Amino acid sequence: MGLLTREVERAPCTVEISHKFESLHAHVRFDNGAVIYPGDEVKVHGPEIMAPFGEIVIEQRDATIVRASKLERFWTRMTGDLEVMELCEFSFSDEVTL
Amino acid sequence: MNMQASVGARPEGATHTADATTAEESIAIQEKQAEFDSKAATDLAMQNTLLTPRFYTTDFDELDAIDVTPVREDWDKLIAQMVADPNKGHFKKNADWDTVDWDNMDPVLKKEFIDFLVSSCTAEFSGCVLYKEMKRRGSNKDITQLFQLMARDEARHAGFINDALREAGVAVNLGFLTQKKKYTYFRPKFIYYATYLSEKIGYARYITIYRHLEKHPEHRFHPIFKWFQEWCNDEFSHGEAFALLMKTDPKLTSGGNKLWIKFFLTAVYATMHIRDHQRPAFHAALGVDPDWYGHEVFTKTSELTKQIFPLTVDIDHPRWKRNLETLKTVNADIAAAKARGGVSGWLAKTWGSARAALAFASLYTIPSKPNSPPASVRLEPAY
Repeated sequence: MGLLTREVERAPCTVEISHKFESLHAHVRFDNGAVIYPGDEVKVHGPEIMAPFGEIVIEQRDATIVRASKLERFWTRMTGDLEVMELCEFSFSDEVTL
Repeated sequence: MNMQASVGARPEGATHTADATTAEESIAIQEKQAEFDSKAATDLAMQNTLLTPRFYTTDFDELDAIDVTPVREDWDKLIAQMVADPNKGHFKKNADWDTVDWDNMDPVLKKEFIDFLVSSCTAEFSGCVLYKEMKRRGSNKDITQLFQLMARDEARHAGFINDALREAGVAVNLGFLTQKKKYTYFRPKFIYYATYLSEKIGYARYITIYRHLEKHPEHRFHPIFKWFQEWCNDEFSHGEAFALLMKTDPKLTSGGNKLWIKFFLTAVYATMHIRDHQRPAFHAALGVDPDWYGHEVFTKTSELTKQIFPLTVDIDHPRWKRNLETLKTVNADIAAAKARGGVSGWLAKTWGSARAALAFASLYTIPSKPNSPPASVRLEPAY
């Protein structure tokens, strides 16, 4: 990992999307044990996965992980905290006037 | 046995009116087709809302290092209660789920209410993503079990809201997974402070509306409010878990961290004040004055957070309300300036940001009220 350079890697992953009444969730798991660090970008390849209502879709996909440079990782660690307020449930809509 | 009846004995096979052998069968098929068409049309006309949860990382080694031994007894009780899952089966529509007349709902109210549902759904969903990530990356059994249980509840809540949205003709799109996403970073202690407060204030918000509508059922314009009581009990338990986590390390609630706690309390209350005032029609329909509601929720939340926080903010101080109002006005000014753009927009935005920072500083410097948290943390929902 360079100070300013980003490295790109591919990782197989399992995507699970549940669009059921009992549970609405979506998760990506890297099958090769790849670990995500602050500032990294992840893109899952292939067409959009749409689970019809009432179903769970599990697919094997490929993902690209763009590793953040050292500087970006440091920056994200230092500034990420500033966005922590978005964890509060009523602060999600950006629109000031509806 | 007449001929018709005998043919009519296998109408289940016919799916097209052309295959129908009796008029009744044909009508039945047509009716079925009409139902299908109308559903397809509804599906097509559905407004597509892409959920955009954020993705986080944190210091997972620090999380793994948590030792719940000092609060073991309370911890085990809480986890056992969550495992028993008393709310299982609760988030289901039953006879209490009245029909909602979406078509005749005032368009402004409808817009605000849908925004409320979408933002709640996104929040539950993001909570689920965050908790699941913590569960997956951790190796400390106590911690991973807790996050697994909380992820379950959040996904359940999200599913329930999603269903209410479907009825309103809003389809939630989970296609965000195939979009590029950047992972940001939060320090574990910030996650504790923010999520603890978010869960407790969430409880206070839901229960205040629930109790208000118990007294004024004529304002209950949607059945989802009837589910708020059990809903907020989940929020309450999640808050309890974070309180216990913080109790394991006294440093988290003392020394310089007191300043962080005060910061989070102030910021969370101020954000809520601004956000709630952005939905005037929603609050009017509920028969709730947002200022009264805010004060009620802050009072309850302050009382609850005495279980673990060494201070509460003074919401009755004369500077409190004045500066909340300033923040609200400035926030609208900044948005208008951003929309305007150009040099004058930039200047107005910068001026607005400076005024907002000043108003926040004024709120933050109101002397807080010290508190000595009790030896035992655990509370039960009492409002």
